[in-house]
Amino acid sequence: MFQWAWKSLTKQPGSLTASALGIAFAFILVIFFDAVWQGESEQVVAYPENIKPDIWVMQSGVGNMHMAMSFVWDWKADKIASMPGVKQVTPILYLNNVIVAGDTKMFAFIVGLLPGAQRAGPWSMSAGRQIENPGEVIIPDVLSELTGIGMGDQLRITDKNFTVVGLSSGTYSSANTVLFVPFKDLEDILSSSGTYSYLLVDADDGIDAKDLAVQIRNEVDKVNALTHAEFIKNDFALASQMGVEIILMMTTICSVLAALIVAFTAYSLVMRKRQEIAIIKALGVKNPLIFYALMLQTGLVTLYGFVIAVVFALFIIPYVPLLVPQLTLIVSMESLFQLGVIAFVVAISGALLPTHMVLRLDPATAFHV
Amino acid sequence: MTSPILSAKHISKYYGSGHTKVRAVNDVSLEIQPGELVLIMGPSGSGKTTLLSMLGGLLKASEGSIEIEGINITQLKEAALPNIRALKIGFIFQAFNLLEALTVEENILFPAQLRKHKANSAKQRADELIQQLKLEHRRFALPQTLSGGEKQRVAIARALINEPGLILADEPTGNLDSQTGQEVMMILHDIARDHGYAVVMVTHDPRVEDIADRIMWLEDGALHDRKLEAHQWTHDPVCGMRVDEWKADIKTEYKEKTYIFCSQGCKQRFEKNPVQYVSHSKRDESSR
Repeated sequence: MFQWAWKSLTKQPGSLTASALGIAFAFILVIFFDAVWQGESEQVVAYPENIKPDIWVMQSGVGNMHMAMSFVWDWKADKIASMPGVKQVTPILYLNNVIVAGDTKMFAFIVGLLPGAQRAGPWSMSAGRQIENPGEVIIPDVLSELTGIGMGDQLRITDKNFTVVGLSSGTYSSANTVLFVPFKDLEDILSSSGTYSYLLVDADDGIDAKDLAVQIRNEVDKVNALTHAEFIKNDFALASQMGVEIILMMTTICSVLAALIVAFTAYSLVMRKRQEIAIIKALGVKNPLIFYALMLQTGLVTLYGFVIAVVFALFIIPYVPLLVPQLTLIVSMESLFQLGVIAFVVAISGALLPTHMVLRLDPATAFHV
Repeated sequence: MTSPILSAKHISKYYGSGHTKVRAVNDVSLEIQPGELVLIMGPSGSGKTTLLSMLGGLLKASEGSIEIEGINITQLKEAALPNIRALKIGFIFQAFNLLEALTVEENILFPAQLRKHKANSAKQRADELIQQLKLEHRRFALPQTLSGGEKQRVAIARALINEPGLILADEPTGNLDSQTGQEVMMILHDIARDHGYAVVMVTHDPRVEDIADRIMWLEDGALHDRKLEAHQWTHDPVCGMRVDEWKADIKTEYKEKTYIFCSQGCKQRFEKNPVQYVSHSKRDESSR
């Protein structure tokens, strides 16, 4: 019986591949949107994730960066810097705002850097130099590619024009893109003299960041201090609520679509065998054996489709950002494994109804085939 | 008298109920002995296939009992019937019904998988059947590459692989040309006569009548014996099939006597070795 299952499946390789491609298409959709979701999720927290201080200090009541506003008096930075166990404090100013680049307007994280504060600046430059003078800005290279604004061009933040002197990489996402400007310029825009937004605190070697964060909260009035992991968790949660959830919803819709495609393919596969199954039943094969054979067929087609999708995901998807630079795609093995489990469950579920219908076939119909 | 392979008593099949109740088969009884070839004939829609389906455990009878090798299949649960079909009955279909993805050998061996611990003997049996039915050169061919006659020979081999006592054939010559149909009829005739299988055949083909031991006529759901009409017919000396002397145009002369055949195949076989067939043609003379 299993020989029949295998041979009847592989007898028409074209038909088998067409079925597998249908399933693969559905899986590729899911993998693609999952990769977008993973990529955007990582990119939304790209700035804090790459800067990675041991502790983030901010205004009391604030716990993240995305869409947040924080002010901390400058003397508090000095106080924290003098605390035992603190290696270094790097203050930044920070503004969420719309920037105007040519005809394009977009939402951005604008980070104001003190002179020589590369600790909080771009972690990778693809062109140009660091900020040295007032009125200079470093923008993401992807933004430059998308808007056509390059080195020496101007862009506007609120009512102030800046000249592009450097292009950073890894700082672009569709939800938020990160720009770096001089601290003083941003201070003027915000009229926030004597304050910082966040303090990036690095601890001495061997100091527990969690304990130090507690100590800062206890000893410095009206500030919040979180370890990097806590801060990222908060930031990611808020970012997810605001934008990534839309992508997650799209991923879910695609997953449901994939389930329907797999179920339909399984349905067609099983229903095409109706005539032969009537003959097989007439010859004396019992229903459980037919059930297992049909499930095996569905499982094999789904596996074939899944393998095609995985090959596509691993070898093609990584090149998509070359064509569409604003996309950040991450295909993780964990996601592929999860998809594999889902694919198996979906395939079996999709085959259950048609298999049940086929098992109820009257074997006497073999006389009318 | 040996005990019957198949015994059907007062079987009926109804469809619908009340005013819409239709009797497809009505109070049919028959017994088939080993080695017997029985034809079931009748007009279209008379219930022949319904009857055959019930005899083969494919369809539940509304009334009556059917025993195959002493097992009352009408009392068996649905789940037990596949075993009866696999081991006690061989099916031959008009449309051959071979499994398209399997080779000739695999098709023949397919029902053998349903027997336990018989793999080696099944292979040996398949080899014998392949040889007996002249399918050696087609052993690894797929059904789509076979002629109609070859397909039906494969179907016959498949029906015989588990050595069931009963063969049920539904219009086995219906999709074949006359010569191929006659060859298939001869195979069925031989397996009944030489190997002791009971063969029940539903057919419209009047040429088959003369190789049958009994002819049953099914009309309006009821079954009757039908007498053979002997006069005005002669017999093909090779296959024994009845041939209309007045209409036959396949003839040959041997020792100043005219012999009439049902097909060119029989004529050729006769001409190769007439002596073998002349001694068997007494029936001809008696019928003249």
